[in-house]
Amino acid sequence: MSTETVDPWHAMLSQQVADSAGAHSSLDQRRQSASELFQQSGFPTRKHEEWRYTPLKSVAQGEYSALLPADGALPGDDELATTSDIRIVLINGRFRDDLSDLTALPDEVSIRGLAGMLAENPDSVIESIDRLIPSEDHPFQNLADVFLCDGLVIDAQGETDARIHIVHAQDGSAVSGSSHVSGLVRLSGGAKIEILEEFRSRGTTLANIRWGMEIGSGCEFSRQRVVRPGCDVLYHGTRVQVEGKAIFRDLIAGSGARLVRNEIHAILAGPEGHVDLLGGYVSNGDEIVDHHTVIEHAVEDCTSREIYRGVLGGGSRGAFTGMIHVHQDAQRTDAEQSNDAILLSRSAEMNTRPRLEIYADDVKCTHGATVGELDDESLFYLRSRGVGLEEARRMLVRAFTAEVFKDLENEALKEQFIEQLQEAMPAAGESGS
Amino acid sequence: MSAHENEEKMILDVNNLHASVEGSPILKGLNLSVKPGEVHAIMGPNGSGKSTFANVLAGREDYTVDSGSVSYSGLDLLDLDPEERACEGIFLAFQYPVSIPGISNAYFLRSALNAVRRYREESEVDAVDFLQLVREKMKLVGMDEKLLQRSVNDGFSGGEKKRNEILQMAVLDPKLAILDETDSGLDIDALRIVAEGVNALRGGDRAFIVVTHYQRLLDYIVPDHVHVLSEGQIVRSGDKTLAHELEREGYSWLESGHAREKTQEAS
Repeated sequence: MSTETVDPWHAMLSQQVADSAGAHSSLDQRRQSASELFQQSGFPTRKHEEWRYTPLKSVAQGEYSALLPADGALPGDDELATTSDIRIVLINGRFRDDLSDLTALPDEVSIRGLAGMLAENPDSVIESIDRLIPSEDHPFQNLADVFLCDGLVIDAQGETDARIHIVHAQDGSAVSGSSHVSGLVRLSGGAKIEILEEFRSRGTTLANIRWGMEIGSGCEFSRQRVVRPGCDVLYHGTRVQVEGKAIFRDLIAGSGARLVRNEIHAILAGPEGHVDLLGGYVSNGDEIVDHHTVIEHAVEDCTSREIYRGVLGGGSRGAFTGMIHVHQDAQRTDAEQSNDAILLSRSAEMNTRPRLEIYADDVKCTHGATVGELDDESLFYLRSRGVGLEEARRMLVRAFTAEVFKDLENEALKEQFIEQLQEAMPAAGESGS
Repeated sequence: MSAHENEEKMILDVNNLHASVEGSPILKGLNLSVKPGEVHAIMGPNGSGKSTFANVLAGREDYTVDSGSVSYSGLDLLDLDPEERACEGIFLAFQYPVSIPGISNAYFLRSALNAVRRYREESEVDAVDFLQLVREKMKLVGMDEKLLQRSVNDGFSGGEKKRNEILQMAVLDPKLAILDETDSGLDIDALRIVAEGVNALRGGDRAFIVVTHYQRLLDYIVPDHVHVLSEGQIVRSGDKTLAHELEREGYSWLESGHAREKTQEAS
């Protein structure tokens, strides 16, 4: 890795480590070691197997290295049809008490800004971060460690059913730069939490967001994430431990971001747990969408399902890397994975890499990947009924992506997701084919 | 248009039509004239070009028209896109209807109906009016209303798919309906229900071209004219009794006839 491309970042990192030293010894240590790892490894190039389809050259250059200012405005967007009455806003990586509304929060649930908790009770927070987000040599994790300052801590204990809307906004209208958010989720005692996580951005920004979660026995966590058009670079990483009979569901929908890297590492750690990972996207121009998932079946009798579907136009590129790791003791695992893509132009590209590592013998694992064009037979069928070519193409794209959203109970939100993807679809003439 | 004029005017006039698939000629000089209100059956052995003919009329792009002309209601049919043909009143009931997971039957039908109505400069139908219309038409083909909310043909039985085709026909109200082997894969009960649906749509100026291998469909949908297609040409035409003749004698007489011709060419 050439050092010159990392230079602006190096300077930022050294300064950050120096500035924040003395706050808390184990935090200092974590910052220090992450900084050292980053100084050595920097941003991976495309020679790095795990980053082969995520070109970070533009990120490595200086533009994003500064921190986005602590104050910033919420980029205006149409509001989503959320049913949650709890609203959390983070702008440029800072939890904004003034823009958030926690009044409807049930007693069993607490949501706090990470910065406040670090000031109040650093030992317990840092212990949780170490446990839920163990250090690893990963460019965005290293940056998140070095620049760790704010984020969210969500705890729910006991029977509750809360719906939370989180808006991550990047305001790069004055200066370009990055923000780094760490979030913790801890559910226990049968809690049920649903989160709608929304990403908005204006200007040249890098949003580096990571979550560490533990979903306790019998708990349910459902998350819908939506990348709104106009986002620049988004790294989003989730590491989640799913205990017995617990459920972790995730859905990511999006269009119109320059580069999205979505990483999920789910560990099924107790019997009869379930993980559900869904994704639907439309990409255009030179956009890049990379879904990178690892599901570890560590114990017996767990199930997992993955469905990712992309529609790629222009010269956009998509990637899917899906590892299913079935440990030796994970008998009667049932894992399903599918990744399908439609290419609307000849210069669009999709790379799909299913990876199965199975060490147990009584296992049901299915995986399938398809990359194709819109089906001519279906197009002709629609046209033979009077539907024009352009509308027929849109209907088929709608049908293709709708599969991802079919279990979503909130019909209005579902319609918004599908609508956003449909609007992002290039017309036949402009898809560069 | 008065009944008298109808008698004079053709709804469809196919003249010396040649068409090929991937370079191999399938239709080799097909001629056919259909008047408004008539039901024409096209019969013939497998590979004679029946389905090709049906699909060429609907505008499927896999088929290349090499020469000849097709005039439809005074329009040059071959010059129109498939959706324009549909909007002008041509309807093809598919031999193998396509299933489209993710699009509900109701959404599909309403999109189609509104596309056709926009083309005809009529106002679009709203959800309420549409539902009323489609319920009425579903009774006609004996279709379960639940199928409206299901994805188009997805997981439908053979009979349900064919009924769905007839439902679409009923909703879109075509001037020329082409049934491509609508009887294939149907048991006798399903066949009867589908045929009853078709018969309910007969009448007035609506013309039908019924493409079939077997005569049994024609027991239910009684044609005005029967044509035998062989090697891309209509080799015999007659009234409904021709269908019965074919039922008795099969198509072997065609093959032996051609075999004779070929022998003569060779010698």
